[in-house]
Amino acid sequence: MKVKKESMHFLRKGKVNGVNKNMFKKVLIANRGEIAVRIIKACQELGIKTVAIYSDVDKKAPHVQLADESVCLGDPTPIESYLNIPKIIKIAKDTGANAIHPGYGFLAENPDFAHSCNDIGIKFIGPSSKVISLMGDKIAAKKTMEKAKVPVIPGYHGVKQDNKSLIAEGKKIGFPLLVKAASGGGGKGMRIVYSESTLAEAIESAKRESKSSFGDDTVFLEKYIDKPRHIEFQILADEHGNVIHLFERECSVQRRHQKIIEETPSPVMTKELRKKMGDAAVAAAKAVNYTNAGTVEFMVDGNLNFYFMEMNTRLQVEHPVTEMVTGIDLAKWQLKISSGEKLSIKQKDLTQRGHAIECRIYAEDPEKGFLPSIGKLEKVEAPAGPNIRDDTGIYTGMKVTPYYDPMLAKIVTYAENREENINKMIWALSRYVILGVTTNISFLKNVLEHSAFKKGNITTHFIENHFKEGTVSKEGLPIDAIIALAVFDSMHKKSQDIVRYKEVDPHNPWKHVGRWRVSGEGGQ
Amino acid sequence: MFINYEHENSVYNVTTEKRDNNFYITYNNTEYKAEAEEIKPGQLKIKIGDRIVKAVITEGDKEKYVFVDGNVYKVKHVELTAKKKTRKKEEGNLNSPISGKVVDVKVKKGDKVKKGDVLMVIEAMKMEYLIRSPYNGKVKKVNFKEKDQIEIGEETVEIEK
Repeated sequence: MKVKKESMHFLRKGKVNGVNKNMFKKVLIANRGEIAVRIIKACQELGIKTVAIYSDVDKKAPHVQLADESVCLGDPTPIESYLNIPKIIKIAKDTGANAIHPGYGFLAENPDFAHSCNDIGIKFIGPSSKVISLMGDKIAAKKTMEKAKVPVIPGYHGVKQDNKSLIAEGKKIGFPLLVKAASGGGGKGMRIVYSESTLAEAIESAKRESKSSFGDDTVFLEKYIDKPRHIEFQILADEHGNVIHLFERECSVQRRHQKIIEETPSPVMTKELRKKMGDAAVAAAKAVNYTNAGTVEFMVDGNLNFYFMEMNTRLQVEHPVTEMVTGIDLAKWQLKISSGEKLSIKQKDLTQRGHAIECRIYAEDPEKGFLPSIGKLEKVEAPAGPNIRDDTGIYTGMKVTPYYDPMLAKIVTYAENREENINKMIWALSRYVILGVTTNISFLKNVLEHSAFKKGNITTHFIENHFKEGTVSKEGLPIDAIIALAVFDSMHKKSQDIVRYKEVDPHNPWKHVGRWRVSGEGGQ
Repeated sequence: MFINYEHENSVYNVTTEKRDNNFYITYNNTEYKAEAEEIKPGQLKIKIGDRIVKAVITEGDKEKYVFVDGNVYKVKHVELTAKKKTRKKEEGNLNSPISGKVVDVKVKKGDKVKKGDVLMVIEAMKMEYLIRSPYNGKVKKVNFKEKDQIEIGEETVEIEK
């Protein structure tokens, strides 16, 4: 299918003396957290002014501090803030932004938003709204890919959405099978069904979750692949028909269908398979006249057959691992491509060098089924060292609220090879101090230290297979922690003294005096 | 001085004393002699024999957080009861594991439920959490209706065994 070139009347073409004269003067970042910070930094390096938007609870957030201008969205509920298209468009107009970068999540894959931006002459940094719609509709996306000869997984992508028809189709495909939201992503609205008895419940629940998350309850069913790996290819496509891929990312380590550890190169990748999958990814992008940065996700089975799963029409959370091994700055290329620049990198110029890993640090409790945790971050200290990158949106004193995604930071390490890099990541995680809110840091370390992970034997079932509930050591308080506490308390004795007053006389007024001095000397 | 730290339902009785710039810590009938300095507020470097322990400690509203070797432990000071208490492990509870919105209520008062039946569906951070019955029984009371806001720890449904 052909995609109409969207109007670009607001940009003058041309590049003089290697300087892109069409580069945006000001970009609004319609996001929060680490990704907003990442994009603001890319803009600043390119000499672009930035506008941050924030909800009431994000007033002091790093992205707000970093941007040249910032505008409050008010009510922190996502629908009233980072998902509110009219509010965001108005702010872009009022501040005179030429373009909007959506980041990931929120409005990043919302075709109406992309359309609304371009309608009023503000460039949406991403592909066209038509491509977003097409790829957002997983059924249509698969059909398009089948036509383009990209292999797809067998399943039911039909229009009959009543429970009876879906159950009948499910039985045809056989078990186990996957119920997936047509508009889904990030594991939302997805259910694995192992037998007919739980199929109806899974369909209902997936529909409900999909309705509330995406406003659409269409689901589809597909064959569930044995020993599956999730391997995706990064794409860059300019607005002049040039498409390249930037190799794979292995994202198999997931909990609740959401990635937590990503790496590149994949431990199972061969030169031949990389060529085949890379070509398929480029073919997929060309089939829809894709523009800007995107990701083609594949499922790879135990025999290294690969199937197209979906295409993400945005910058991915895990993009830094690709940046580490290729040396290419994807966020900056998004800006350059959007301003009309041609891709100056050719496929043959690209190489993968060394090994990169990303660990996603979440405010969640691995011992309680990875439930999100909220509260105040009493202390945050990130590790620093050679080839350690910390993409973060948190600070000491920040409150983690239930309004948004619980991801706090991403730590990325780079080394000569996988073995050394695993050790580097363990070193970095062991020095990442986040106190006050339960995080998955210890759990991430346990995964990296696992012998199967070290051997590269990972599938998307890795965590459920190797980490049954409560595998994170429950041996209580170690002696080192006890000693540290006792030393700390001897050094800071005052709280003990107050307790003593309380024991003597609960009505003694002096127990309320706190740190006031009684003597007149040098009184404050 | 005597201190009792509570961590995950266990209490640790510790005594600590400062003599000649050393700290003497006794736990579980063993005395540890430690040299320690606070490098930055809350950041300790402790020498125990030939071992060096680095720790970061922060005080929250009620708790202290200790960071040692990449792991974080949350502890509370407790009153001097000297006796190690361990709470009885519950059979499973019906409290909401998260603050969020009730999106579906599957049962009503008087319904008979079996262990594992879904009673209520709570949505938070765009994920769904299913509240399942921990045992067979009869619904005594449903505390929330659809679209209600529910806070972490609140009881969803009461069930009589």
